[in-house]
Amino acid sequence: MTESSPISLIQGVEDQQIEDPRNGPIAMSLSDVAVSFNGRTAVRDINFLVPKNKVTALIGPSGSGKTTLLRSLNRLHDLTKGAKVTGKILLGDTDVYNGGIPTTVLRSRIGMVFQRPNPFPTMSLYDNVVSGLRFNGVKKKSILDAACEESLKAAALWDEIKDRLKAHGSTLSGGQQQRLCIARALAVEPEVLLMDEPTSALDPISTHAIEELMGELKDRVTIVIVTHNMQQAARVSDLTAFLLMGEDRAGEQIEVAPTLKLFSEPDDQRTLDYIQGRFG
Amino acid sequence: MTETMEKDSAQIRAEVREHLRERADKTVRRRMATSTVMSGVCWAAIVVAAVPLVALLFELFHLGWSSISSWSFYSTYSQQPSGNNLSAGGAMGQIIGSVALVVYAVIISVPIGVTMGVFLAESQARAANWLRIVAQTMVSAPSVLMGLFIFKLILLQFGWQPSALAGSLALSILMLPVIAIATEIAVRSVNPSLREAGLALGARPSTTSLRIVLPAALSGIVTGSILAVSRAVGETAPILFVIGGISSGFGWKPFDQVNALPVLIYLNVKQGSYPSQISQAWGMALLLVIVVFVLSLFARIWANRNQKEQR
Repeated sequence: MTESSPISLIQGVEDQQIEDPRNGPIAMSLSDVAVSFNGRTAVRDINFLVPKNKVTALIGPSGSGKTTLLRSLNRLHDLTKGAKVTGKILLGDTDVYNGGIPTTVLRSRIGMVFQRPNPFPTMSLYDNVVSGLRFNGVKKKSILDAACEESLKAAALWDEIKDRLKAHGSTLSGGQQQRLCIARALAVEPEVLLMDEPTSALDPISTHAIEELMGELKDRVTIVIVTHNMQQAARVSDLTAFLLMGEDRAGEQIEVAPTLKLFSEPDDQRTLDYIQGRFG
Repeated sequence: MTETMEKDSAQIRAEVREHLRERADKTVRRRMATSTVMSGVCWAAIVVAAVPLVALLFELFHLGWSSISSWSFYSTYSQQPSGNNLSAGGAMGQIIGSVALVVYAVIISVPIGVTMGVFLAESQARAANWLRIVAQTMVSAPSVLMGLFIFKLILLQFGWQPSALAGSLALSILMLPVIAIATEIAVRSVNPSLREAGLALGARPSTTSLRIVLPAALSGIVTGSILAVSRAVGETAPILFVIGGISSGFGWKPFDQVNALPVLIYLNVKQGSYPSQISQAWGMALLLVIVVFVLSLFARIWANRNQKEQR
């Protein structure tokens, strides 16, 4: 097995003063979060802070509960029968689950991008981008037009599709479709953007484009990304949370640390084993 | 020790290879033979299945074409032939009546059927399971039952006169479960991640259903509705005793008595004693088959469209 960690592409880590992004402003905080389905715990004891305008990566092998945890942040489990989320999740000062905030409002403050690009098949590119605004009651054309252009530019897709906004989403390549979905999520001006393995269905070039995009988007939105790909986490994130399936088959948090630290000198042996490819 | 084992291993592999080649040759030969025989069996089955169908269509065209190829079939009313005038007339009244019946039935059954289908697909309530069982039973229930039900309930109990609306209600009961089940399947086959994407944008569940899921399922719903129509248009039993069936002229308004193509086919063949009536019946039967064929073709085109969109 290789003895070098994926972060070895980042040279001279030891010499650098690793800054903890959690010392800055915080976008979300999770305390004692657990998710269970029909009484079976899928993930538990999650405690960490999500720094504002940074990228937080959730990594870990299959079954460690990364996606389950991510989907609890925007209450996407609400419609699953038997799903139960306990603990406390704060978005700014708002309690996500017990703060009385309507889920529709919450979900327009926390956007999401899915594993496979999923543009709405019956809508044009334009209608896709502004759909979130329309769902929330925005009708004014000038606002929709402006939001469409702005968010497509932010998703680095405007130049490619500005001449065919009336076309359907299926006319785009996979990478373009995913950027369309990012634009769609950005159009409702979320504070946080959840990304569930956003590049797992994409080729390396499209993946690279999305990764670059994440760096650019940090200024306007806090990103939480689930990824199978450790190199990706190392490349794009500022903070990394490593999850692992415990003995009772429930995912738990092993270590949360600034990405540079987690990939160069993790505190936990299991983290080291994982990033060195010894399992998972 | 290692040496002998290596030698053994090489020997074993050589033997396996030799044996495999030998067997492979035989296997391929056997498979080719099986394939030829099975192809023959398949073709024979196709011929057996196709012969009655082709014979029926041939007979239908042979006997019905002369009626429907004449314009008077569409522009004159049917009439009772008598001593002086042996003609049975055209089928204008029946065509208009059948169209009216189907149109009213669509207006009644599509909204209810689609709503029911969406409920079946999205509700986790126990009632949905019961409703599904009822719908599945209704699909295969004998169609004369719908006619009897409407006859008993609407005509005897409520004292309505026979009318287009009564016939449409009977046809609606026939179409409802077909549309509901087609809708349920179409809604269920919509990629669940589309619904999640809608919710994740802050849309309410009802908005998500109406603006994302239903449009994505539309092709399947239309296909199911067309198939329901093509089933209803040729049905005799449900409407036989509830639409009145005036012998000449035509009605089309909801509370008019109306004629219908399948009903006159039945009456002509059962009671008609003139050759012109039999030939008229064949003409109407051919017309119905052509209509059903065209409707099925449309349904198929819609279904293909659906598949392309899903890709």
